[in-house]
Amino acid sequence: MAADCYADYKAKQDNPLRLHYGVAVVNGQCSKANARNELSKRLGAKGWTLLNVVSVFGPEGLAKRKDSAGTNFLRF
Amino acid sequence: MPEQTSSASDIRRSGGRLVAMGIAAVAALLVLGAAVLFWALPDANAFNARVERIFVENDNLTSAAEIKLLEILAQSGTAFSDTLTNYRVLIGVLLIFAAAMLVAAVVFLMLLITFNRRMAQIERTGIQVSSLLISREENKVYLNNLGFKLTDAAMETLAVLAEARMDDDILTGSEIEGVISGRSAADCDEAAGATRIKRLRDTLGNQMVSELLVKNIARRGYMLAIDKDVIKVL
Repeated sequence: MAADCYADYKAKQDNPLRLHYGVAVVNGQCSKANARNELSKRLGAKGWTLLNVVSVFGPEGLAKRKDSAGTNFLRF
Repeated sequence: MPEQTSSASDIRRSGGRLVAMGIAAVAALLVLGAAVLFWALPDANAFNARVERIFVENDNLTSAAEIKLLEILAQSGTAFSDTLTNYRVLIGVLLIFAAAMLVAAVVFLMLLITFNRRMAQIERTGIQVSSLLISREENKVYLNNLGFKLTDAAMETLAVLAEARMDDDILTGSEIEGVISGRSAADCDEAAGATRIKRLRDTLGNQMVSELLVKNIARRGYMLAIDKDVIKVL
C-alpha cells in the first residue's frame, strides 16, 4: 500500500524565486496531511520549501502528471 | 502704560531658542519623510510573494513552461524593486540636501531678524563710539569717522583719560591735574582737574552737536541735521 501512494506538490526556493511542480512517493499513510509532513522534510533537506500538496493519488494518476512534472517527476 | 523693555541679550536668547526649535522641526520633518518613504515603498519580496500566491492558488499552473513564465515574472519584479531601492537612496540624498537648505534658511532668517532689531536699537541709542583715534600732530580726535579739532589742553586731558581707560583705571580730578602738570596728585587741586574735564566736554560736545544735530551750512545758515520724519512735538 505504501509504495502505491503518490502526491503532487508545489515548492519554491527564495532569492531568486524558483518554483517547481513535482510528483513524489509518499511512504506512510496516504493522506494529504501525511504527504505534507513527509515532503516538507524531504524537500527542506535539499533547500526547497514546500508550498502545498495539490493531491494524493495512486499509480493510476502518474501517467497524466508525468509531462507537467518534467524533471521533478519522482525526483525527491 | 506697560513698560516696553527688551535687551539685545533677550533677543539673542529667544532667537537662539527659535533657531533650535526650527532646526528640530526640520530634522523631525526629515525623519518623518524618511520613515514614510521607507514604509510606503514595497520591499523586494512583495513581487515574489505575489507570484508565489498565484502559483499556489491555481492548481492548473503546473506545466514547466507556465512555471518558467512565473519565475521570469518574479525576476522582473525583483529587478524593478532594485530600481525602486536606488530611487529610495536618491530621494534620501535629496531629502538631506533639502533639510540642510531649510536649516540654513532658518538660521539666516533668525540672524537677519536679530541684526535688524539690534540695528534699530543702535539707531535709537544715538552715537555709539566704535573707534576713537587720537591724532596728536593734527590736534584732532576721530570718533568713528567724525573728526573734531581740540585745543592742546583738551588734547592732553583726552590722552590722559584714554590711557587710564586702557589700563581700566578711574582718575580723580586731582590725579588728572597731577599727570598733566607733572606734580604729585596730592599737591594738586581737585577743581583744576574738573575744569580741564569741563573744557574738554565743552569743546568736544559743541563740535559733536554741530556735526550731529545743529549744522552750520556755510553762507546760508543753520539747520537740524536729522530726518524731518523723526521730529515729534508734544
